[in-house]
Amino acid sequence: MTEEQKIQHLYWRAGFGLSPTAFQQKRKLPLNKVIKDLFKAAKKIQPVQMPHYNLPSAESFKAMSKAERLIKKKEIQKLTPEINLNWVRQMASDDYSCLQEKMTLFWHGHFACESKRFDYAARQINSIRAQALGNFRDLVLAISKDTSMILYLNNQQNRKNKPNENYARELMELFTIGRGNYSEQDVKEAARAFTGWFSDRKTGEFKFTERQHDADSKTFMGKTGNWNGDDIIDLILDRKETATFLARKVYRYFVNEKINDKNVALLAKVLYQSNYNIGTMMQTLFESDWFYAKQNVGVKIKSPVELLVGMSKVLNLKFGNAKSVLFPQNYLGQMLFRPPNVAGWPGGKTWIDNSTLMLRMNFAAVVFQRVELSLELKDQPEQPKARRLKNLDISGDVVALTKVFSNVKEADLGLKLEGYLLQVPFGTKDSFIETLAKEAETSEGQIKAYVLGLMSLPEYQVC
Amino acid sequence: MKNISRRQFVKHSSLATAGTLLLPRFLNAFDQKSIQNNKNRKLVVVQFSGGNDGLNAIVPYTNDVYYKSRPNIAVPSNKVLKATDNLGFNPKLKVLQNLYDSGDVCIINNIGYPDPDRSHFRSMDIWHTASASNEFLSTGWLGRYLDGNCTNCQNPHHAIEVNDALSLALKGAQMNGFAMKNPTQLKNTTRSKIVQAVAKHHHDHEHEENVAYLYKTLANTISSADYIYEKSKIYSSKTAYPKGQLGKELKQVAELIISETDTQIYYVTLGGFDTHNNQVNKQERLLQGYSEAMSAFVKDLKQNDKWDDTLVMTFSEFGRRVAENGSRGTDHGAGNNLYLMGGKLKKQGFYNEGPDLMHLEKGDIKYTVDFRNVYATILKDWLKTDDQAVLQKTFKSLGFI
Repeated sequence: MTEEQKIQHLYWRAGFGLSPTAFQQKRKLPLNKVIKDLFKAAKKIQPVQMPHYNLPSAESFKAMSKAERLIKKKEIQKLTPEINLNWVRQMASDDYSCLQEKMTLFWHGHFACESKRFDYAARQINSIRAQALGNFRDLVLAISKDTSMILYLNNQQNRKNKPNENYARELMELFTIGRGNYSEQDVKEAARAFTGWFSDRKTGEFKFTERQHDADSKTFMGKTGNWNGDDIIDLILDRKETATFLARKVYRYFVNEKINDKNVALLAKVLYQSNYNIGTMMQTLFESDWFYAKQNVGVKIKSPVELLVGMSKVLNLKFGNAKSVLFPQNYLGQMLFRPPNVAGWPGGKTWIDNSTLMLRMNFAAVVFQRVELSLELKDQPEQPKARRLKNLDISGDVVALTKVFSNVKEADLGLKLEGYLLQVPFGTKDSFIETLAKEAETSEGQIKAYVLGLMSLPEYQVC
Repeated sequence: MKNISRRQFVKHSSLATAGTLLLPRFLNAFDQKSIQNNKNRKLVVVQFSGGNDGLNAIVPYTNDVYYKSRPNIAVPSNKVLKATDNLGFNPKLKVLQNLYDSGDVCIINNIGYPDPDRSHFRSMDIWHTASASNEFLSTGWLGRYLDGNCTNCQNPHHAIEVNDALSLALKGAQMNGFAMKNPTQLKNTTRSKIVQAVAKHHHDHEHEENVAYLYKTLANTISSADYIYEKSKIYSSKTAYPKGQLGKELKQVAELIISETDTQIYYVTLGGFDTHNNQVNKQERLLQGYSEAMSAFVKDLKQNDKWDDTLVMTFSEFGRRVAENGSRGTDHGAGNNLYLMGGKLKKQGFYNEGPDLMHLEKGDIKYTVDFRNVYATILKDWLKTDDQAVLQKTFKSLGFI
């Protein structure tokens, strides 16, 4: 691998690939500097933009009639796609830290949770963002106090005399330590410790309700005390199995679905010894030689969001409305704020079936040539009527691409663009893509033809 | 459609050749054996999305609790199509009455699962994956059937979902079903210049596993699209189907079955059952559409001697609350009913008693039959496969087929 290829690999995994401009700026820099810069840029927390909407205050909401409240509630739910759109725009923009965006996306899938209201969705994604490279303890505590999560996993119903185990169970099974490392009794005791951890229905803020909290003694993972939720999290994080569980998940997502136990053990050790500093673990990962090994490059099937955002980076895609990001996400199986269940998106080959592959391969043509695919989504409850892929408002341009690649000799253009767009070789030379490109009369036309061809390849679906 | 010009024909056959040209590296002999025993047996799944109100579909027309709980939306007893002393059909569900009379339907009451989930998405996932309510699976029950019985199937059209997108039910760990709205549209999608060029592109070097998988999926998609397109031209139904979407889709299914397509499972969806307000008109319009489309489908298959080889299962992710809400609708509930139709049913009419409305669970009908028992029966007795391997647990057969 050349240094340039390493930088591209890094950007695909730590972000969503390089825009043409960023490609030009970074490609000749030393790898270690590029890594440092990524982490430096991620330090500045940039929350997702809120749509303009006057949220009623708790008082005025209370004063409303039932019918008025219902209308407001519907308005608030209708705006959730706007958060989705704003987040996708942010992921696609070079003005934001791609590492911060990628980590936020990763944790969004890890702490999989459906958010129905735009304000709750934004709040959750912003508190994830603030800790995405910070301390895992703070992150999991923030999630435990997050309104969307409290509602999604029924902690709102977790009361002193009537505990609800849902959150306590998923906290251990999916968010921290994993199956096989705790007992059913631990689930019961942890649920008691989280009793009274409610969301204030009026403000949407976390509210500890003491009279619903079980303050009696609990025995959790062999230790007895008057544990509350914070203590439970501490006790879970004391166990090394938790670091291993998280390191495995990170490895599968950022490196390879096929686990290398030695590398995972290293990440787990770094995480545990740094007292669960996520940034430290991620930096170790991106600085390791094995991360750039051939068997770890181009082996990940891009998630729908990675694919969409990656194309946006190259083509400067403009999404005119929320529908334009929702449809492809929905159709391809990864709708932000709507994971299939609390276990998140399974990823890998499960992204692919005959219909998703066809849309993935035709998507560049949809954007570029405004090809209309008449695809329809199923009618879904609590969703607007089935929408068609027609009327999507997505447009792009090759201005930046042309600027960056205009000096390349015509004979090298295909190879250069292939090197920029693909993480696995295809062999553009003498292929149908070259034939297609040669038909074009201008250099911009040639670039367009190459990019369209390359983005339609199965090879473009992996990174 | 019927009379294709010579030029078109040449085009199609050259395409077919193109399809096979790129196939060899993925080509496995189609394993006829695995599906030989039951090859002709078809399963058609009809999904009602949104939570069909089973109580207003199969009506307990002598039950006071029913009428007291639903002062505005209950089906008046004089309108019910009466079947037994206490159960009858919604007046729009004529198909059920007819099939009830001819012994071609088996209705299972109080279907559900333990710890019911009242979220559409979660409950639908539970039905699709056949999981327990606290278990998360990423493969569907029919997908796992394909995994176990179709590992050597060359093409994914062994199970077709008549839709643009594929449901979780049809996704396996190794095998997937095939999503197809209509054969012509599918063919057009795979015939885009780029897709054809990519598929034809010759690959000398070995691909990494995931890229190889993508190329394989592409090759299979194209060859299935070609195959289904050819099959779809064999038989054009003369039966009159109603105009709606479901009518079109069931007509499609009937045509493929009658053309003896190598497809065993078909999956169609009818949405719109989430009737939180003004339920009566909305639900009855849907039920009428279903009834008319299904009547045509049954007639079509009977006329073509395929009805005895067919089993149709109609389900929804949950039933609705027994009591109506404040907007002449109903909210999400639990226990429901499920219809099985076919020419070879062993158990006809009502499989079990109607719901016990005196003993509800949080205002909902309690389940007495786990839906996974229905799946087990279909897998074991109809598709003749190892139901335990697919469901990963033992569920007793209900013996309805």
